[in-house]
Amino acid sequence: MARVNNFIERSLVGALSFLKEGIFADEFAARHGFLQSLAPQIKAITTLVFIILVLFAKSIFFIACLYLQCLLLALLSKVRLGFFLKRTWIFMPLFALFIAVPAIFSVFTPGEPLLHFEVIGFTFIITRQGILGAGLFISRVITSVSYATLLSLTTKHFVLLRVLRVFKIPQVFVMVIGMCYRYIYLFMEVIENTYIAIKSRVGVRVRYAQGQHIVAWNIAQLWQRSYQLNEDVYKAMLSRGYSGEPVILNDFKTNKRDWFWLCYTLTLAIVAFYFTYWMR
Amino acid sequence: MSNSIFELKDVRFTYLGKFPALCGIDLIVSKGEKIAVVGANGSGKSTLLHLLDGLIFPDKGTIRAFGQELKEGVFNDESFSRDFRKKVGLVFQNPEVQLFCPTVKEDVVFGPLQLGMAKATIAKRLEGLIAVLGIKDLLDRSPHQLSIGEKRKVAIASTLIIDSDVLLLDEPTAGLDPLTTRHIVDLLIQEHKSGKTIIVSTHDLHIVEELADTVYVVSQEKQIVKSGKPQEILEDFQLLQAHNLIHIHRHTHDDTIHTHPHLHTEHH
Ligand SMILES: Nc1ncnc2c1ncn2[C@@H]1O[C@H](COP(=O)(O)OP(=O)(O)OP(=O)(O)O)[C@@H](O)[C@H]1O
Ligand SMILES: [Mg+2]
Repeated sequence: MARVNNFIERSLVGALSFLKEGIFADEFAARHGFLQSLAPQIKAITTLVFIILVLFAKSIFFIACLYLQCLLLALLSKVRLGFFLKRTWIFMPLFALFIAVPAIFSVFTPGEPLLHFEVIGFTFIITRQGILGAGLFISRVITSVSYATLLSLTTKHFVLLRVLRVFKIPQVFVMVIGMCYRYIYLFMEVIENTYIAIKSRVGVRVRYAQGQHIVAWNIAQLWQRSYQLNEDVYKAMLSRGYSGEPVILNDFKTNKRDWFWLCYTLTLAIVAFYFTYWMR
Repeated sequence: MSNSIFELKDVRFTYLGKFPALCGIDLIVSKGEKIAVVGANGSGKSTLLHLLDGLIFPDKGTIRAFGQELKEGVFNDESFSRDFRKKVGLVFQNPEVQLFCPTVKEDVVFGPLQLGMAKATIAKRLEGLIAVLGIKDLLDRSPHQLSIGEKRKVAIASTLIIDSDVLLLDEPTAGLDPLTTRHIVDLLIQEHKSGKTIIVSTHDLHIVEELADTVYVVSQEKQIVKSGKPQEILEDFQLLQAHNLIHIHRHTHDDTIHTHPHLHTEHH
């Protein structure tokens, strides 16, 4: 039983701290680097352009260049490269296994055979087109994931949220997401503290049945609390003049560097599209 | 009659139909008054303030604010609602509830933005408040990352910035260190001097004397049992003890045990 609990404890506390670090840490966003100095809406737009470029590119070489640029940007923005690579490659094995690996075989991608081998009477043929396709796929995924990760690492999340408004997403919606985000943190804190409180009263070894009871009670509590909180927060909003249509501060400022970066990105995009689609 | 702000007549309020929170409150608040509401936990102080802020409405009895009766529905009138919110500001007891924006800055300016205050005015008031409360460094942080005391300061700023005529404060100094408490008390006294009406609920008898001309004691029966000048109330040990506001202090002087009521009005 102790082991079961230990596992639950480790995974619960672990998951909480992972979430807190992953979602709420603004460590890199607070540094003074290149991307951090850009206006958030420009940063979001250019990131989007790069991702679109990656998705439509047909040459692995070009994608590799974009990937290198992304790593360079990470360096310029003072993001630790080791951390960044770990962050972005973590899901790759999964992708590779389920999508890329099957694609290299002739069953899925017919073409010029490169290699073949037999397993229990079946012949597997790896094709050149298959390898190319898989390579293209993997490089596309990793590069676009890297750009997206870089954006989220170098921008404070609430700022990212406000950027949504630039894309004409209704303010109520943005505000609700912002509040969810904020109160999820509160709830994680509540869970964590309750857990610590239980431990300090009951001792380290919580019996399994007891543990289940506590968890159930906790969930009920949390529900109750969130309902109460919801009502109280609404009161607090009303009290300060909220009347159904929130007015939110909009104070994004752009400077020369932003416009320069935007021009660079757009020029690159136009040139790339020209070469990929119209030159041939 | 023109300078009375709130008039409560036999106000009763019950949560969810079964938890009584106010049982017959009569109260008149005039313009420019400084009022403290004291009482034990659960005596209905917060409920009373929510009622005065038009967030909840009495089950029985009437409450009038600025001559207009507050009841369900009056806040549907946009202009009345806006006018009322501009005139009355409430600092909630739990700053966690009051701070719902992603950053401190957005939270502080939330009220004035909703109420249509001019951008320049907002910026100016913000500047002043962050200087007084010493929260400049907190502006870009998320409210959830702050200590309880810091949260409280931000919550106070987010209400004060509205510059309302009436300030309702629910335990504004709970959890604050002595110096910050001092700052807040000074700030409130200054606001009062500039003509504001102030109503605070508190357990902190230290600040009552300065912050109030009139003190109301609410009982566990959720009624006002006594009101008067701060000195009068603070001298009434029996009353204070009956309402959990002081405790008997026992210590030893030269081998004799000495017992006296412990009144938290001065440091020792
Ligand atoms: N949301 C609620 N649901 C049910 N009952 C409630 C609710 N809020 C308050 N009460 C009850 O109403 C009564 C008055 O509560 P209130 O919060 O006004 O007290 P208070 O004087 O502010 O206490 P404290 O000093 O602890 O802040 C209490 O008995 C409480 O149990
Ligand atoms: Mg209260």
